[in-house]
Parts: sequence; structure tokens; C-alpha cells
Amino acid sequence: MRNLIAFFQRFRIFLVFALLQVVALSMYFTYSDFPRIQMLTTAGTINAEILTIRNDVTKHFNLEETNKQLEWENKRLREKLKNSLYKENKGLITIDDTLFRQNYSYIPATVINSTFDKRDNYMTIDIGKNHGIKRGDGVFSSRGVVGIVHIVSEDYAVVKTVLSKNINIDVMIEKGGSFGLLKWNGLDAKRGSISGISNDMRIKKWSKVVTRGGSGIFPRGILVGRVEKKGYIEGKPLWDITVRFSEDFRSIQHVYVVKNLMQEEFDTLQKQIPEDSEEPEL
Amino acid sequence: MGGIILHTVRFIAFVLFQVLVLNHLELGWGVYPMLYPLFILLLPFEMTTVPLMLIAFALGLSIDALSNTFGLHASSALIFAYFRPVIFKLFAPRDGYENTEESNIYTMGTRWFIYAFGLLLLIHHTWFFLIEIFKWNEWLLLLRKIGLSVPFSFLLALFVQFIFISKKKSER
Repeated sequence: MRNLIAFFQRFRIFLVFALLQVVALSMYFTYSDFPRIQMLTTAGTINAEILTIRNDVTKHFNLEETNKQLEWENKRLREKLKNSLYKENKGLITIDDTLFRQNYSYIPATVINSTFDKRDNYMTIDIGKNHGIKRGDGVFSSRGVVGIVHIVSEDYAVVKTVLSKNINIDVMIEKGGSFGLLKWNGLDAKRGSISGISNDMRIKKWSKVVTRGGSGIFPRGILVGRVEKKGYIEGKPLWDITVRFSEDFRSIQHVYVVKNLMQEEFDTLQKQIPEDSEEPEL
Repeated sequence: MGGIILHTVRFIAFVLFQVLVLNHLELGWGVYPMLYPLFILLLPFEMTTVPLMLIAFALGLSIDALSNTFGLHASSALIFAYFRPVIFKLFAPRDGYENTEESNIYTMGTRWFIYAFGLLLLIHHTWFFLIEIFKWNEWLLLLRKIGLSVPFSFLLALFVQFIFISKKKSER
């Protein structure tokens, strides 16, 4: 007995060490699977509180990173949307699950520079040829249509925004489907107009204006704005429709570039439409 | 009494600094600096090993609770505390540790500090990453983590002493 006590006294330090070490290690190797005492994890009330305070202070430092992440998330989600997929098998019942094929893909970009008060307004984005974009690709943001890629360099691109003379994006009124071309008069960065909608169409005020997807630049259904006003044009059977843009061009930060993966096919088909002045070949 | 308050404040400060600042530094390459071993080193010199280990265990557990490591820091802090007297004995100066209250870089000298604290830190970090990775086939990652984190932690410990511990007070 005395020997035993002497033994414990001699190895007291090592025994305490071993005991605590066993506690710590058994906790480590089992807690990651089954946390039992919440106090000892960050889910514990006080612990979570401390970390929340920290995050409240530091989350602003990470805003840029957070934005980027959300942007990618959006890209991923948008590509899954129905209107960016091409329906493989129109009208036929199929048991294959390859009903849809990717038609549009999106590349997120950051706006480096932009104007909104010139006659033709452009913005510079931080992606270019190296990222696979080319002249004529559509550009939109989470708020709405932005413009069309105009000049492409290796790593940057200049986008001709909706606030330009000859932008002529194919748009339609979401309800009813009457369509026309989007124009801008060069005065108000918040408003544009649609030309070419015949005045026997019923158009409600504040109805949504979306892209029609007619030229293959944008997928169908990207928001442009809402009908703010409609009026008659003298001597023409057309509505003069004023659109209030959903995009705020004065505070634009992040955009997506649309890549139409079937543009070539679309273009070859479109070229076969005979011009008005020519006689159709027989 | 003053010593207890000082060390309590230090305890809280080291835990919070580790959890709120160091845990969130993303230095890449597997660098994970840990400063709290310095707290254990700076505990009163005459403190015996058992209380030392208990305090170190509590320190590690507090950090664990705030970084979801479930005892990993507690285990490593315990290793540090267990080896502290051993290393102290190993690097004892010729005339012993007379009149030393606290073993910081000023009282013990730079040479002693580099050897003793460096070795203790190496033991601590090795144990920490060994338990954390726990796979022999990732020994390269293990070496990289140890090799990069130890210098970081060491330099950090130096800076903290230069900033917070006054030289004159220690030499008195």
C-alpha cells in the first residue's frame, strides 16, 4: 500500500497529465461526430454571441468577397432556369431525361467604369476575350438588362448600354406578348421607349417589359422595366410607350455576360430569311 | 493578488485574440499561428506542474469552445504545460533561475527564449497538427503546416512581448 502511494506521488504529474490528455483527446475524437455539451462548441449561447459580435464588426470587410460568391451562385441558378435551356424535344413525349440542353451560360463581371449622362453610354467590365466573351453578347444584372458587348480586348470589354442610340434590343410586354424595339432618347437615364407596338394592342400601365429573346442575344424573359406611360404617335398606328428601367445605371456594380451557346445555329437560320427588297429564290 | 488579476486578464485577452483574430486570418499555405502558448510560458515561474496543467487545460478548452475544435487546443496546451518544467530544467542558466518571477524574453535573455520557447512551441505545434491531421499519408502537409506556423507563432510571441511587456519593469 505504501508502495502504491509512493508510486502515485512520484508519478503524480504524469498521471494528471495523462488523465487530462485522455479527456481532451476522447472529446476531440468523439465530439466532431456527436457534440454532447453545446457549451463547448460555438453553438453555445455565449460563444455564438461573442462570434456574432465579431462578425458584425468584420462582415463589412468581406462584402466584396460575399458579393462575388452570390454572383457565382446566381450564375449557377440562372443557368438552371428554364428560359436559358433549349428544349431538345419539342412536343414529343420522351422518356429520356435529356429534355433540356444548355442554351445560355452566364459569366459574372465587375463594372470598372461607366457613364450614364452621354448620348451613347458605355461601361467597362473586367472580363474579355480570355474569358470567352465576344462582341454582341448580351449583358444584364440582377436588376435588369444592361446592354450589349461592343468592344472586346484580352481581359476587358466595353459594353454599349441600353442608354444608347441604336441599341434596339428586342423586348416585349410580358402580359400579352406584344413586342417592339427598345430605344433611348438620350435624356433620362431612368426611362426609355419601345417602338413598333401597334396601338390596337391592349397594354396596361406598369406591366412588365422583358426581353423577347428574338435575336438570340438575351434569353427570353429578362426584366427591362415597366410601362410607365403610353401615348399616341401622330399619323402612325403605333403606341408611344415609355419604359421605366428596372436597372439603375448610376449605381451599377456587378453584371453578367450572356453567352448564347447556339448563336451560330440561330444566325445561319436567320440568314435564310429573304430580304424585303429581293425576290425570293425559287 | 495583483498577479492573479494580471493573469486572469491575460487569460481572457489571449483567448479572445486567438479566437477573434488569429482564427480568422487566412494566410494560406496552411499557416495557422497560435499565440496562447505564450500565456502558459508567462505563468509564474514557481507554479508547480499540476496547477500549470489545469490552467493550460482550461485555456485550451476555452479556445476550443470558441473555434469548434473539441479539445484539440486543450490537448496541445496540456502538452506545452507538461513540458514547460522539463525544458526549463534543460536550458537552466548556470546560476539557476534565481529571482525570476516571470520567464519572458527580457528576464531570461534572447538566447534562452529562442531555445526554450522555440522548442516548446515546436512540441506544441507538432502535437496540434499531428492530432488535427491524424493521417500518416499526409505527412507532407503536416510538415508544411508545422514548418510554416511555428515561425509565425514565434514572431508573433516576440512582437507581443516587445509591445506589452516593459523592459524596465522586468529588469528590476
